[in-house]
Amino acid sequence: MRKGKRLMHLLPQKSFALPLAVLVLALSVGARGGDGPDRWWAPGEGRVLPAVLDYDNANGTLRMLTVGGPLKTAGHPFFEPLGKDGRACVTCHQPSDAMSLSVDSVRRQWDRTNGKDPLFAAYDGSNCPTLPQDKRESHSLLLDRGLIRIERPWPAKTFNGNPVKPDFTIEVVRDPNGCNSGPTYGPEAGKISVYRRPRPVANMKYLLAVGFPFDPKQGYALPLDPEDGKPQSGNLMADNRAGSLRIQMEDAATTHLQMLKALSPAERKQLQDFELRVYTAMQVSKTGGAVDSGGAVAGPARLRDSEPGALGSIGEPVWSEFKGCERIPADEAAKLTPGQLAMRQSIARGARVFREKMFLITDSAGINSRVGFGNPVRNSCVFCHNMSQMGNDVAPGQVDLGTTTLPFADPWDDLPLFRVTCTGRPHPHYGKVIYTYDPGFALTSGKCADVGKITLQSLRGLSARAPYFSNGLAKDLRGVVDYYERRYSIGYTEQEKQDLVNLMGVL
Amino acid sequence: MKRLALLVALCTATTAQAAQDTAGLVRYVACPVYRDTDAGRKSGCWLADDRETGKRWDVTESPYKPDWNFAVLVEGRPSANTAQPCGAPALDPVRTSRLDIPCTRHMIPAEGFPGRRYTLPRRNIAPLSVARPVPPGPYAERVFPVYFEFDKDFLVYQYDDWLIDNAVTWIKAAKPKKLVVTGFAATVPEKVSGLELAERPEAAQERAETIAETMRRLVPGLKIETKWEVAAKPTDEPDADGLPWQSQRRAEMRAVF
Repeated sequence: MRKGKRLMHLLPQKSFALPLAVLVLALSVGARGGDGPDRWWAPGEGRVLPAVLDYDNANGTLRMLTVGGPLKTAGHPFFEPLGKDGRACVTCHQPSDAMSLSVDSVRRQWDRTNGKDPLFAAYDGSNCPTLPQDKRESHSLLLDRGLIRIERPWPAKTFNGNPVKPDFTIEVVRDPNGCNSGPTYGPEAGKISVYRRPRPVANMKYLLAVGFPFDPKQGYALPLDPEDGKPQSGNLMADNRAGSLRIQMEDAATTHLQMLKALSPAERKQLQDFELRVYTAMQVSKTGGAVDSGGAVAGPARLRDSEPGALGSIGEPVWSEFKGCERIPADEAAKLTPGQLAMRQSIARGARVFREKMFLITDSAGINSRVGFGNPVRNSCVFCHNMSQMGNDVAPGQVDLGTTTLPFADPWDDLPLFRVTCTGRPHPHYGKVIYTYDPGFALTSGKCADVGKITLQSLRGLSARAPYFSNGLAKDLRGVVDYYERRYSIGYTEQEKQDLVNLMGVL
Repeated sequence: MKRLALLVALCTATTAQAAQDTAGLVRYVACPVYRDTDAGRKSGCWLADDRETGKRWDVTESPYKPDWNFAVLVEGRPSANTAQPCGAPALDPVRTSRLDIPCTRHMIPAEGFPGRRYTLPRRNIAPLSVARPVPPGPYAERVFPVYFEFDKDFLVYQYDDWLIDNAVTWIKAAKPKKLVVTGFAATVPEKVSGLELAERPEAAQERAETIAETMRRLVPGLKIETKWEVAAKPTDEPDADGLPWQSQRRAEMRAVF
């Protein structure tokens, strides 16, 4: 596939969700810059979203499938500006970025628009609305680490409609951006400002899937959606503040879009319908070739066609889509270049390392407490990244890896630092006083024991949406592996690190 | 009246029987030791030394395992299985409860011991995608106990979830008029390893409310009442595994028709 060329693609025969006529028409847009359509989907531009859409990135080609597509985006609430800032959902959930937002895209938009794109709206596209909005440094968190300001109420007011009385207090230790120490956006105004990466709006059936009726990390049955009475997966938002797509979209509309009126039922229906139809994953490894060929059975079509919510340990092992690359038959290997063969073998090794490299997990709430696995517990990446096909947690995925909380978090002088003091039982690992950049799930649950817990990230389309972790601490995939190595002293060999990077690069 | 007297007598006998069953059991407080064996996932060993007898026990089979930063209350029965994959005789059944007593964390190497290869525990619930067999009737008033760690109300993974899942399956089939959830706490102090141990009275209410909230989520619309009692007595319910102290730390769901 060459740059800038529009290509016709037929979806696999197993594509039950698309009528044949639509399959034939499914157009893959070579949206890679040059003479192709713009990579950036601007609000209200009215483009048609093809059923199959490919975007190149440094590691290969990302593919987005829209079941039932193509979709006319004119008038669609995901693509139309709905609030006063001129933003749409698509502003921060770009198809080229696996329906998230890469820092590369952010910088490109800044340079192209001289910072005037709605993405850089003062409310949350700047470090704080009180800063001078025409200066680059006022948007440094978004430009440097892809972080959007998230404004949470303080004290936490509700969790799925239930009142919460926090068992901790919060003080602002350091506030480089002025939001948390000022009179309008910090605790003084009944708010807390934290900074997080946008999460991908894709592969939703996996994120919404409920495998078991309990949340072992919280010690309760799963909470129920107040609207339909069904159990909630707890895997949508970084701090689990929204248990359903409806709650999530209403939260996003009033905050990120600055909508002055509520979404209408028709808009909610359109949004939900669209979000449930989008699948995205890497389709082609730049070095290794298509991920659904030569023994590998990965890619977005597989995601679309598989049942969500299965636990890899009792069903299809996580990333076993690449098992066929472990021993490529000689006749097949002969058809590959040495580089392709080496990459495929590396990806397959990476999948095994992901599943089988055991290490001691220590002092991580959500794993070592309060669920009774013990502290420490020996396990591998799939202990938490346990859902077949997706690698998110089958249980609600609120876990404290330390990415936002001292002493495990890296030092960041551009983020606010909070001092949390537990007023009831101390935190099981940090004790009574905790220093954190982002209390995470505790801002929803009101529990000190949940400080620092962040819902596991989706692992699909990673190559399209650096940087990683909720606060963007890892600028690339190697940074992810390096953080885990620092945090848990895993002892990865250099080969294992590279294999993991190669695996994550094709998910 | 005669029937009531008989019932009281039977209950007294049962309680006395359960209370007497501490013979052969061990109960002590210790700082846990983690032995870093590696037989795959979850294969590390937990050891705990009884200071009074000088014996080291393998307590790995507890459904809720220790935290190396805190002391544990160990309760168990020496296993009939003489194998020592962790380098010490095992307690099985066994419970370890995390206490708010700091410990110096201590990890020792495997020293040639293999540890145990992880197998799914007996009390392990099936995914929601697996249909639960409908329990046969006729249905009548029935009590379902759920057990807790010392002084806690947290549902124990692969123990309480299994007990509750079974109860929910039965309740959905039986359709009782209401559920009366009673939380119990073992509030009478007992001396263990030189420490006076007693659960907080509030633990009884917390347990009742935790179970009630969970049941509200699992069986929406079911009428639920909560009660709580302190100074809990042991029972001989089989899912307490013959450990009287475990049987005291419970909540009971009584399905009433």
